[in-house]
Amino acid sequence: MAVKLTIQGGLIYLTMLFFIATLVAARLRRNQNATAFWIGGFAVALLSVAWRGFSTGHPPMQNLFEFFLCMAAALAPLSWWNLRRHGLDTKFQDAVIGLVILFPAGFVFKEEMRHLMPALQSPFFVPHVAAYVAGYVMMARATAIALPMFRRDTEAERLTRIDLAVRQSVAAGFVLITAGLLLGSVWGKVCWSNYWAWDPKEMWSLATWLVYAAYFHFRQRYGVSRPRSLAALLCVGLLFIVLTLTWINLSRIFSGMHTYA
Amino acid sequence: MSFKPILRKITGLNAATVGCLAGATVSIALAFMQADRASKAVATPPGYALAVCGAALLGFCAVRAIIRRRWISVLLHGGCVLVGVGWLVGQYVAKHPADGLPVYGAVAMIDGDESNTLYTGDNLTEPVGKLPFSIRLERFMIDYYPDDTVREYRSRVTITEPGKEPYVRNIRVNHPARVCGYDIYQMSWGQAKDMYGRPLVYTVLQFQRDPGVPLVYAGYLLLFAGVTMFAFKQGGKS
Repeated sequence: MAVKLTIQGGLIYLTMLFFIATLVAARLRRNQNATAFWIGGFAVALLSVAWRGFSTGHPPMQNLFEFFLCMAAALAPLSWWNLRRHGLDTKFQDAVIGLVILFPAGFVFKEEMRHLMPALQSPFFVPHVAAYVAGYVMMARATAIALPMFRRDTEAERLTRIDLAVRQSVAAGFVLITAGLLLGSVWGKVCWSNYWAWDPKEMWSLATWLVYAAYFHFRQRYGVSRPRSLAALLCVGLLFIVLTLTWINLSRIFSGMHTYA
Repeated sequence: MSFKPILRKITGLNAATVGCLAGATVSIALAFMQADRASKAVATPPGYALAVCGAALLGFCAVRAIIRRRWISVLLHGGCVLVGVGWLVGQYVAKHPADGLPVYGAVAMIDGDESNTLYTGDNLTEPVGKLPFSIRLERFMIDYYPDDTVREYRSRVTITEPGKEPYVRNIRVNHPARVCGYDIYQMSWGQAKDMYGRPLVYTVLQFQRDPGVPLVYAGYLLLFAGVTMFAFKQGGKS
């Protein structure tokens, strides 16, 4: 735990301040202010990624620190997609997610820079990581949107609306994590000689993919008649994503070729 | 089928959901085993049996989807089947190569070495077979960034196929060479001493031949097409 007294750190903390301001404004129902803060936060998050890329000299997707910076910048565009498509204002939840993402980037992960090692010098590097950045953020947001499904007093009409938004969001996220998985597999063949290495992170990513597959099969069979189970499956998926990003990356139990940061 | 109501009674879920979650459980169990043990565990008769059962089950789903004219479902389940079959084909050929040529192995070389034999084992001492061509290491080079971290490993080799002019290939990480159906990878390197105690640098090149890969990639294409179409189909109805 340390405060980063650098330009990078300043950009991260400024983004967090914008997110907090978004939260407060959204709570006070000052929608225009919330939007302004949200856009401001997005701009600084983007600047933060750009600054990191500029100072490292490579796409900032090498370690967890850079991955988390990218996730924070991916929030607002995906949020805007739900606003346009479903008329859902998710700024409040998304600002909370943004703060959760940026906390480790701002206070836990080290900022040290490394050159791109030979294994990462590949055209698969950016698409593989970018697909997972966007996919994971999408899944986290979809889970937040699904939370009212846990309440027993959610009326049927609202439930149908939420279900549609959740389903479309998870499906979009599923396209992204499928792309990440398959691109990673093909890259593995080119770089490590096998399309599947049975590496712990690969296995957890596959398990995550299968949990979302389970969500779709459950939804297909039961519709919205069991909303709590639907939401619970999404929570399991998000739990797996959080574990993949933290425990599996960092623990020695799961040491493998994806171990970094 | 009578097992479905029983399954539903026990788990409270439909069979397809249980199947996905069972797959996730197996996957996590393998994650706890770590890559070296997991890859050995799946390449055993129980592993193959599980893969065959999984592929058969998914194949059943795909055929049923064809009958019901659910084309996206056909793509999704058929894609998974192709991936599984491709893996099994690769495993089978690795154990029973039709042409008697090795499918997997590595060779450690110093500058100037020539070889046509592949090895396996911890110190690459157990020969696995002869290649249909020979490879000669011209030079192994390591290129560094200004701060001494590695920028590039490169093995420059000369390949001699019978009845052909020898030709040069540069093998780097992420840039394998393809010769006679083999992919040749820059896998590792190390330092040793010769008989007079002088330092030597050697490179480890890995050779791999997997005829199942086209099937696996075809499966990936179907799967991705299916997932994309599925996402666009998530409309307002039902």
